[in-house]
Amino acid sequence: MDIMNNSEKKNGLEPMKSRNELHKQDAVPEAIQAEFGEAVTAGFKLENMSGLSRRKFMALMGASSAFAAASCTEYRDNGELMPYNKKPESITPGTANHYASTYTGNGHGWGILIKTREGRPVKIDGNPLHPINKGKIDSAAHASILNLYDPSRIKNPKRMAVSDMKLNSGQYQPASWDDADTEIIASLGNAAKSRKEIAIVIPAVASPSQKRLFDEFAEAYPTARFYTLSTFADKARQKAWEKCYGRGSFPVINWEKANIILSLNSDFLGNEGNTPEQIAKFASRRDADKPDEFNRLYVAEGAMSLTGSNADYRLRITPEAQLDLVFTLLNELCTKGQCSIACPLQLQQQIKKYTINGFAANYKVSAETLGYLLDDLMANKGKAIVYAGDCLPESVHIAVNILNAALGNDKIYDPKITNTTHSLNREGRIDELPAKMNSGKVSVLILLDSNPAYMLPDDYRWDEAAKKVPMRIAMLETENESSDGFEYILPIHHNFESWGDSHARSNVYGLMQPVIQPLYDSRQKEAALLTWTAAGKEAYTYDIYHKYVMDYWRKKIYPALNLAVDFNTFWYSALHDGFAMSNQSSHSMPVINISAAIGLKSISNQNFTVVLQPSHSLGDGTYANNGWLQELPHPITKVTWDNYAAIAPQTAAELGVEMNDLVEVSIGGRGVTLPVVVQPGMAEKLVAVELGYGRTDAGEIGNNVGVDASVLMTKQGGIADYIFTGASVKKAEGTYKLASTQEHHNLTDDMTKDFQYIRDIIREASVGEYKKNPKMFEHLKHEFESITADIEYPGIKWAMAIDLNKCIGCTQCTTTCNVENNIPVVGKDQVAEGREMHWMRIDRYYGGTPEEPIVRHQPMNCQHCDNAPCENVCPVVATNHSPDGLNQMIYNRCVGTRYCANNCPYKVRRFNFFDFRDHVADSYYKGDSMDLLHNPEVTIRARGVMEKCTFCVQRLSEAKSNATRDGVEFKGEKVTTACEDACPANAITFGNMNDKQSDIAQMREHNLGYYILDILNVKPNVTYLSRLKNTKSEDDITEKTKLDDTKLDDTKLKNTKSNDIKSENTKLNNIKPEGT
Amino acid sequence: MKKSVLDYALKIRLPITIFVIIVAYTLTYFISRPERDGLGYAPEQPISYSHKLHAGELNIDCQYCHIGVERGRHAIIPSTEICMNCHTLANKDSLSIKILTKYYNDGEQIPWKRVHKIPDYAYFNHSSHVNKGIKCESCHGNIASMEKVAQVHSFTMANCLNCHRNAKERLPYLKDVKNGPDHCNACHR
Repeated sequence: MDIMNNSEKKNGLEPMKSRNELHKQDAVPEAIQAEFGEAVTAGFKLENMSGLSRRKFMALMGASSAFAAASCTEYRDNGELMPYNKKPESITPGTANHYASTYTGNGHGWGILIKTREGRPVKIDGNPLHPINKGKIDSAAHASILNLYDPSRIKNPKRMAVSDMKLNSGQYQPASWDDADTEIIASLGNAAKSRKEIAIVIPAVASPSQKRLFDEFAEAYPTARFYTLSTFADKARQKAWEKCYGRGSFPVINWEKANIILSLNSDFLGNEGNTPEQIAKFASRRDADKPDEFNRLYVAEGAMSLTGSNADYRLRITPEAQLDLVFTLLNELCTKGQCSIACPLQLQQQIKKYTINGFAANYKVSAETLGYLLDDLMANKGKAIVYAGDCLPESVHIAVNILNAALGNDKIYDPKITNTTHSLNREGRIDELPAKMNSGKVSVLILLDSNPAYMLPDDYRWDEAAKKVPMRIAMLETENESSDGFEYILPIHHNFESWGDSHARSNVYGLMQPVIQPLYDSRQKEAALLTWTAAGKEAYTYDIYHKYVMDYWRKKIYPALNLAVDFNTFWYSALHDGFAMSNQSSHSMPVINISAAIGLKSISNQNFTVVLQPSHSLGDGTYANNGWLQELPHPITKVTWDNYAAIAPQTAAELGVEMNDLVEVSIGGRGVTLPVVVQPGMAEKLVAVELGYGRTDAGEIGNNVGVDASVLMTKQGGIADYIFTGASVKKAEGTYKLASTQEHHNLTDDMTKDFQYIRDIIREASVGEYKKNPKMFEHLKHEFESITADIEYPGIKWAMAIDLNKCIGCTQCTTTCNVENNIPVVGKDQVAEGREMHWMRIDRYYGGTPEEPIVRHQPMNCQHCDNAPCENVCPVVATNHSPDGLNQMIYNRCVGTRYCANNCPYKVRRFNFFDFRDHVADSYYKGDSMDLLHNPEVTIRARGVMEKCTFCVQRLSEAKSNATRDGVEFKGEKVTTACEDACPANAITFGNMNDKQSDIAQMREHNLGYYILDILNVKPNVTYLSRLKNTKSEDDITEKTKLDDTKLDDTKLKNTKSNDIKSENTKLNNIKPEGT
Repeated sequence: MKKSVLDYALKIRLPITIFVIIVAYTLTYFISRPERDGLGYAPEQPISYSHKLHAGELNIDCQYCHIGVERGRHAIIPSTEICMNCHTLANKDSLSIKILTKYYNDGEQIPWKRVHKIPDYAYFNHSSHVNKGIKCESCHGNIASMEKVAQVHSFTMANCLNCHRNAKERLPYLKDVKNGPDHCNACHR
């Protein structure tokens, strides 16, 4: 062991699964011992059991079976089959229909395909034809289907009882829409007459029809004002673009054309901007077959983001150092005479003091890396991009624009396609609204699908102000923090029940169509507004807004396109596709106003800096009641169901805190207590906290999960809206247990735990080495003599390949798998016990040092081994092999011994310790509406059975029966798994490996391909492609490590023998791989 | 040696008891088997629809009504509107058709009793079988001769496998028929 530890220190590259392992703390082996938590029966507490004595139980059993026997006259009743009265032509029971629509969550306008079965949506995927997201969506979009069936949705309109009915005052009474319409129209009319304001709080508008509707509403009621409420809205970038280029709408970036990407505090691969598009374009330049075209990613950031974890070079700096970095690069360019624009003298003077050596010394970063960065940027002029994060202050965005212009990088922009913004005719500023409400100028307040009380910083004093408005109307899907005490609470449609359109990009119009009848007595918010605009002249009908959208398209969009077809053809084809392309604008990049950068000053800060970020899965908290997203492990920390203060290891040591300790973070008197996550790779004196947690009125799932860190925010913001300097952090009393999936699934043996470092779980080299010697991993291949005969797979054999070059660890595969395979939410207590049910997980390994870690992501699902160890140990043959190479899991045969999970080297098997649908939040996920969510092609697993990835066998079966139907031979082409469909990076390939023409067959033969733990001779059917790092240095140390591997194996064995440790694993390792 | 009560109990009484139990169990098992498998199950339907008349005497193709059988998993019980294709005119004064018409006009679903049922954890697909040329009667019996539909074959896994493993024997009318898949994932997922 010692030898290995030394070697670790020597090259600092071996993966460690967590920081605790690095320091070999005592708690870890224990955690590793218990894959499923402390004890498997820990959940069965005697005091929680029924008080029934055994004798009484037997008596009851006897009585009930006698009763049952006596009453079972119709025991053979098979129930009823209810056919349609008039079958809709497009529906064939048992087969799915797909409808194209648009996903508008978080301000996006992504094309989606909604899969419906018998008229109910069961799955969402990206629309492959859509020009923005090209068939990929993010986790929130995948999981948003759960919000449609959320049991806490408001079911009927409610009216606060009028105060003179004393008995019921302060309580809600069910109301009818008609009564609500009459009263609201009267209030609106009165407000307009008496010149009092009608304030309407809305999310950012991205729909042209909606904009027209809002403008018409403001015409009908001249005192109406619309207030846009959007968090993380990228305002700083818009302002910077306005100052630099004279317009706030910025163009699309062609990431795929960039050889060098410098990301400044931007999580563009994680949750910033159009992630599916950005990931796809980024990963398209990480193709192992084209090593010459690899892009190089530099990331300068404070907190460890998903983007930072994929960096080739990472500079650890706090957000306030970003401006200095940009000016340093600009100054060096100018001094080297490489600046493509004419920098005014004033600016040159201003940035003169920023030099690489100065910056490196100031912020303790490597001058060498900075040198590489500068060289790369200069060598790739016009083929690189510097991208500042949404959260950074305007000044950095301006400086970045200048730097990009100086490098000629504006060629990377596509000026013809811009992200559009829609401004309304009567728009107010939300920061002025509380004052107006306080002074009694507002007589009607309408919340349109928004939650200002939670989203706005506390110093808005929203609640107090809102109380002063006499008529308050909340139009929401679920009640929230803001709607409490409102006169009217009106249920609105989910997007899947709604009509709509979207114009988020200048080149495309998206259409949204309903795919299910409204589940409750709700109305589309636009339809309700339309009814109120008409003020009694036009009564509400179900398709009132449908006609409105169609009318808008007929009058505005269709004529502008100058098409040869008539409107109806155009409309139905757009509806079919889910979008229509608009004419390309002929914009070119405007000339940059360089003087915008004059006078920008660097920020100094001695104290802690706090960065508030959107939650990776929940965003700004809108999705807080979505259990799938709450349980989705954070891609870096793997923490579920909580937010936390992420701090650097050194800072944690200074503060004397460890993981799960509490710290108090305070800025100017505003304080919040949070649990700590010690995050390797964080900048020192920096605290990163995710927002979107701590909701108090989100629903059964989302209430009181995590801490609401928005109390740290103010109207003014810090150096930017979400970055605050001058914070103080100190240790608080007590601890808090975070539920993380991080340290589960380790190999249980103390010895094998150490073996994994050199056991090729992640194989890595640099692009340079690969180009020099593509067969460099050849010597690591193992050939074994098997004592049993190999089984032939003459027909189809399914296999998967995962390209670690492309995989960035975004967790989309996990979410889509949850939806496709009816995977239950287990709750925080169960995740803490290691009982999460995700079939597809992403392992995250740290290498390097805690200060400068190298992070690696590896998706891990059932490997469908040919020699599957799980199959040998099942006493009831509930898991066995199919002739097409699948490791089958038969639920109704499984008796739940869990031997298979115990014997699985990859730890991908999941056991149903409970009926988890019944277990979370008072059977929350067993409500009537939730039953509609399940994929009818996949069994709902009961308590006591084992489950795991099936390679989406339901899809394979469907493809096979479709081939039979069409009378063609089934060769396994065009079959995809859910994770493959969802992977925005296209890192997953699935198919029939016996079809030599297929992609998968070629991937299996790839030079970089390897199997995890192939030394066990389990013959996995998931191939991983080794990761190539595009680092600069030629003499990469990885090569040396790998060559040392074989030597190490021998020494290690000797070492273990001398230690007299005997186990199965030692014996296994005595089988020497051939060729070593 | 004197025989004790224990000896009697062990040598005579116990074996006899066990023997009786085994015989009783075995007999019950085999005698009750058809009933347990649902053979002969023929529930009363809300409308006394006769397959003998429609499929037998009138010789209407099965797929005129069961339109899903070639397309997907379910054969599909026909929607009321398909009945009404003929019965807006045909025999419209009979009592059954009047009931049918009332269902249709009220827009209500007819609660047909389900005859054939396989468990939820088995995913049977009609189209895969019918498109291979397997006839309906191979599983459902000669429906065209039934006044009231009754289950003829047992719908157990053993019966499924019997065909999947001995296809040539069981489906002699199909030339070149191959055995069906007999691995778990073929039906369970």
